[in-house]
Amino acid sequence: MHAKALRHWLTITAVAISLSPLAQAADYVGGDEVTVLQGFKPGGGSDALAQLVQPRLSEILGVDFVNEYMPGATGAVAWTRLAKQSPNDGGTISITNTPMLMTNYIMNDAITYNTDEMTPIANVVTDPGIVVVSADSPYQTIEDLFAAAEQSPGTVTIGNSGVGGDDFFTTILLEQAKGLSFKKVPFQGDGPSATAAMGGKIDASFNNVGNVYGQVESGNLRALAVFAEKRLTSLPDVPTMKEKGVDVVAGSSRGYSAPAGIPDEARQQLIEAFQTLAKDPDFQAQAEKRAMNLDVVTGDDYRAMIDQMESDYREIWDSVKDQVGR
Amino acid sequence: MDSSLVMIGLANVLSVNNIACILGGTLLGLFVGAMPGLSATMALALLLPLTFSFDPATGLSMLASLYVGASYGGSIAAILLRTPGTPSAAATVLDGFPLSQQGRAGEALGISLFASFFGGLMSGIALLTAAPLLGTLVLEFGPVELFAIAVLGITIIGSLAQGSVISGLLSGGLGLLLSTVGMDLTTGTPRMTFGQINLFAGIDFTVALIGLFSVPQALTLIENSHRGGKVASRITDRLMPRWRTVKQLMPNILRSSGIGIIVGLIPGTGGDTASWFAYNEAKRFAKDKSRFGKGEIAGVAAPEAANNAVVGGALIPTIALGIPGSSSTAILLGALMVQGILPGPNLLTDYGDVTYTLIWAVILANIALLVVGLAFTKMSVSVTRIPDGFIACAILTLCIIGAFAINNSLFDVGLMLGFGLFGYWMSKAGVSPAPMVIGLILGPVMETSFQQSMLIGNDSFGVFLESPIATVLLILALLSILQATPFFRWLRVPFKRRLKPD
Repeated sequence: MHAKALRHWLTITAVAISLSPLAQAADYVGGDEVTVLQGFKPGGGSDALAQLVQPRLSEILGVDFVNEYMPGATGAVAWTRLAKQSPNDGGTISITNTPMLMTNYIMNDAITYNTDEMTPIANVVTDPGIVVVSADSPYQTIEDLFAAAEQSPGTVTIGNSGVGGDDFFTTILLEQAKGLSFKKVPFQGDGPSATAAMGGKIDASFNNVGNVYGQVESGNLRALAVFAEKRLTSLPDVPTMKEKGVDVVAGSSRGYSAPAGIPDEARQQLIEAFQTLAKDPDFQAQAEKRAMNLDVVTGDDYRAMIDQMESDYREIWDSVKDQVGR
Repeated sequence: MDSSLVMIGLANVLSVNNIACILGGTLLGLFVGAMPGLSATMALALLLPLTFSFDPATGLSMLASLYVGASYGGSIAAILLRTPGTPSAAATVLDGFPLSQQGRAGEALGISLFASFFGGLMSGIALLTAAPLLGTLVLEFGPVELFAIAVLGITIIGSLAQGSVISGLLSGGLGLLLSTVGMDLTTGTPRMTFGQINLFAGIDFTVALIGLFSVPQALTLIENSHRGGKVASRITDRLMPRWRTVKQLMPNILRSSGIGIIVGLIPGTGGDTASWFAYNEAKRFAKDKSRFGKGEIAGVAAPEAANNAVVGGALIPTIALGIPGSSSTAILLGALMVQGILPGPNLLTDYGDVTYTLIWAVILANIALLVVGLAFTKMSVSVTRIPDGFIACAILTLCIIGAFAINNSLFDVGLMLGFGLFGYWMSKAGVSPAPMVIGLILGPVMETSFQQSMLIGNDSFGVFLESPIATVLLILALLSILQATPFFRWLRVPFKRRLKPD
C-alpha cells in the first residue's frame, strides 16, 4: 500500500514533468498492459487505426497494447463489454466509432450500453462524408443530383454503408435540409456501396473520403461534394455542401474510450499521450500516407462531441424511424 | 501490360529471402487451413502487423503464400477426419471422407493437392495476363446480378438432395431459415435474436459448419471406438496420383478452376460458394452421378481446384480496380496500403513493381504448395493411425477452440455445440448437412441482394429481366430446378419421337 502511494506520487510528479515534451517515459497508472477491445474483425478500418496509433502510444506511455477482437452487432458486442463488464482501472479501453457508437443503442432497445457508461479519451480520425457518382454518370455537379431528385422524388438511388451508419444519416440530413427525398439503398459497408456506384448500379454513393480517394483520383468515380467545413486539401476542386447552401457537416470518426469512472490520473495520462501523438510529425506523415484524416479531439471536448452527436442523431432517428423500411 | 514491370516483379520475388518467406508462409497457411475454425483471413490479419517491418516484396510474398496454403490446407482434415478445416473445404468432405474410409485417403489427398495446384496456377496466370480485362467485368455485378447468382447457387440443394429429396429440402430450408436470424439490412430491425446481441450479426456460418460436420463425426468415432479392429485405417495407397487419373480429371479441374476464378472475381462470393458450384458442375457433367457422395475422386478434385482458383480470382478486382474480391484480399489490400499504396486502378501502372511482385508471389506460392504440401500431407496422414477415441477428443477440442477464435466469443462455442447436437441427430436420421450449409452461406447473399434490387428497381420484379446477366443466370437456375424434377423426362418423350424419323 505504501509502495503504491509512493508510485502514485511519483507518477503525478512524472506527469507534471512530462508536460515538457522530452520526459515522456511516465509510468502509466493503469498497469503495464492495456487491453484494447475492438468491435470489428481484424484487418478492418479500426484495426488499421490501432496499428498506426498503438505502437507509438506504447512508446509514449511505456505499456503494451493488446488487441482483443470481438466483432458482432456493428461493434455493440465490444462496447457493451467495455461499458458493463470491463474493469475501470484504465487497463481496458476500446476503439469507439462515432456515430455508430450512439446510433447502435438509439436504434435498438436490445442494446443496453450508453455513452454515459464510458470515459471518452480522444477522437483520432474523422473521415468526411463525400458524394460520389460513376465516371459516366449524367450528374456532373451536385446541383444535377438535386435537380433529378426534385423532378422525381424518391427514385434517385443513393447507396450507403448500412442503416445506422454515418452515410445513412447524412442522406437523411441532406433530405431534411433540402426538402428532397432519395431512395436509400443500404450496402454491407462502404466498399460495396462505392463499387455499386462505380458500376452505375446506383445513381450515387454517400461514402467517406478515405474509402474512395484512390478511385476519385484515378477517375473511376466522380466526387460531387464533401460534407466538410472547408474544402479538403486532398480534393481542392470538390465543393463543400456548405458552399452549396446545405449546412451539413458529417463523417465517420474513430477514437478511444475507457469505461466510466477510471482513475483521473489514468485518464489524464491517456489524454496527454494522445496530445503528444498528435504533434508527432512522423505520425502525421504516416496518417496522410494512409489517407487518414487526423482530427484529434481529447478529453472533455471529445465528450462534448459525443454528447452533441447523440442528441442530434436521436432527433433524426425519432423523425424518420417510422418511415424506414416503409 | 508493361513487361518491364512484370520482370521487376519476378526479380523481386526470386531472392533467397523471399523464397524462404514463401515456403514459410505456405507452411503456416497449411497449418491454419487444416485447423477447423482458424481461417486464412484471421491468420492474414494477425500476420499483417509483423510484415510492416519487412520490405514490400517479402511481406506481400509471405501473405500471399499464406492465403494459398490455407486454401489447400482445409481439405486435409476434411478428407481424413470429415471436419472441414475451412468453410471452402466443406464440399470436399462429401467424397473425400468416404474415400478415406475406403483406405484411399492418400489418393484423395494427392488429387486434392494437385487440383489445388492447378487451380491456383491457372488463377495466377489469369491474374498475370488478364487482370485488367477481367477486372472491369466485376463492375457488371451489382445487387441484381448477385441475387441471380445466389438463386442459381440455391438450386444446388436440389441436386445434393440425393436419396431423399424431402430430407435434402428440409435441410436446405432450415439453413435458409436460420440465415434470416440477425439484423435486417434495410430496416436495422433485429430478427429472431431474442434480445441476444450476439445474434445481431446473424449466425456465423463457420460456427454452424464446425458444429454440423465435426461434432457428429467426433461423437460417431466415440460410439465406435470400443469396437476396435478398424481403429487404424492404414493408408495403403500412395500420395502421388497416377498420371492417368490426373489426365482423366483434367477437364474437371479446368472447368472447376474457371468457376473458381469467376466466383472469386465477384465481390460477395468466395471459396465457400465456388467449391459447391464446382462440385455441382462436376456431378452434372459426370457419366455416373450415383457415385458422388460415396467416394468419387472427381468430387474431391472439383471443389479443391475451385477454392484455390478463388485466390487469384479474388485478387483480380483487387489489383485491377482496388476493389477486394474477398475478405482475405481486403487484408492484402491493407498490406499494400501500409506500403503507401492507395487502393485504386493505378496498382498495375504506378505501383506496378509491387503489384507484380504480389502476382508472382501467388504463382510461386502454388509451386511451393506442391512441395511443402506433399511433405505436410504425408505427415498429417499419420493422424489416421491414432486410435479413434483420441481423435474424437482432439476434434472436439479443436471445435471449441475454433468456434471461440472466430469472434472471441463463448456464445459462439455454445451455438457450435447446439449445431453439433443437431448435426448428430441429422446424421442419425440420414439428413445430409450439406444443403443446410449452402442455405446458410447463400441465404444472406440472396436476401440482401433481393432487398437492394427491389429498392433499385422501385419495387418492380422487372429489374431482374433488365439485366442480361441476371436473366441468363435465372434461366439457368430454372433449368437446374427442372432438371431435378421429372419435367424433362416428360418433355423428352415427344422430342425423341419427333427426332427419330429425321
